[in-house]
Amino acid sequence: MPVPADGLVSQMRRGALEYCVMALIQQTPRYAFEMIEGLGETGMLTTEGTLYPLLSRLRRDGLVKTEWRESVDGPPRRYYELTAEGRRALAGFRSEWTSFRAAVDGILQEGKKS
Amino acid sequence: MIAPHADQLIDGYLARLNAAAGDLPKAARQELVDDVRAHITEARARESEETDAAILNILDRLGEPAAVVADARERLGIRAVQPYRPGLLEVFAVILVPFLWPIGVILLWMSPAWHWRDKLIGTLVPPGGYFGLSVILLTAASGVRSCGTVVDQAGRVIQDGCSGPAGLPQPFGLLLAILIFGSPLITAGYLAIRLRWGRQPQGSAVAAV
Repeated sequence: MPVPADGLVSQMRRGALEYCVMALIQQTPRYAFEMIEGLGETGMLTTEGTLYPLLSRLRRDGLVKTEWRESVDGPPRRYYELTAEGRRALAGFRSEWTSFRAAVDGILQEGKKS
Repeated sequence: MIAPHADQLIDGYLARLNAAAGDLPKAARQELVDDVRAHITEARARESEETDAAILNILDRLGEPAAVVADARERLGIRAVQPYRPGLLEVFAVILVPFLWPIGVILLWMSPAWHWRDKLIGTLVPPGGYFGLSVILLTAASGVRSCGTVVDQAGRVIQDGCSGPAGLPQPFGLLLAILIFGSPLITAGYLAIRLRWGRQPQGSAVAAV
């Protein structure tokens, strides 16, 4: 019996989320709340609190580094920035994801035609 | 409009988060709580009008503390500690501590279901259980005050009085006796009450997968 589609999508979303977060800070360092706003309407992050363990993991694995910066309108903020290792991991995922998506799309389209 | 219960709501949420994260390593728990606190500060600053409803919405979007912590465990590779369920080991320990002290105490210390303070109380109050009490009382009895009258063959009293140390007044003596003889059972009752049903076992640690 196949894995129910909603459970599978939820697992995929969870797995892809960390790369989406890494993609958000690829160009410029951001603080966590900015990332949440960036993910806002995409539906990738249904429970905002779960972003924080994810960021801790990325930092522990050396994929991101952090820096505290003063804020003009509140307490200091912790900014997250991709490390070289994080960039390599993101590039690897991007390439895998592109071919995976193309393969699945192709098969699903084929299934529709037949 | 203001949020009269803002602090209460936020403190309550953070307390629940902290409690749910009780089995995470201390540094990870502290970081999670600090991050969430900073998140709430950011979110509040973005509200044009702070009301209790706005605060509740911020907390809703953060998610249930248990769900956040469950995600943290999975992301950080931390296995949840299974609550310990006391069983026969604990039943025998409670029964044997008063009546077969050495075995009862070994079982008591083997079980993760009690805090070490309870184990210490179970071991020392009274030392040796009923067996230890018997030894203590027999030792004490050798110095017990005895009273009596000695008469000669003709029935004349040649000695009348008491020897040995003076005893306690009657009510206090009775109370002390009840306390001494009851203490092993009281301790057994205490241990039964202090069983950590469904709580994290004593001395257990989270394990990284």
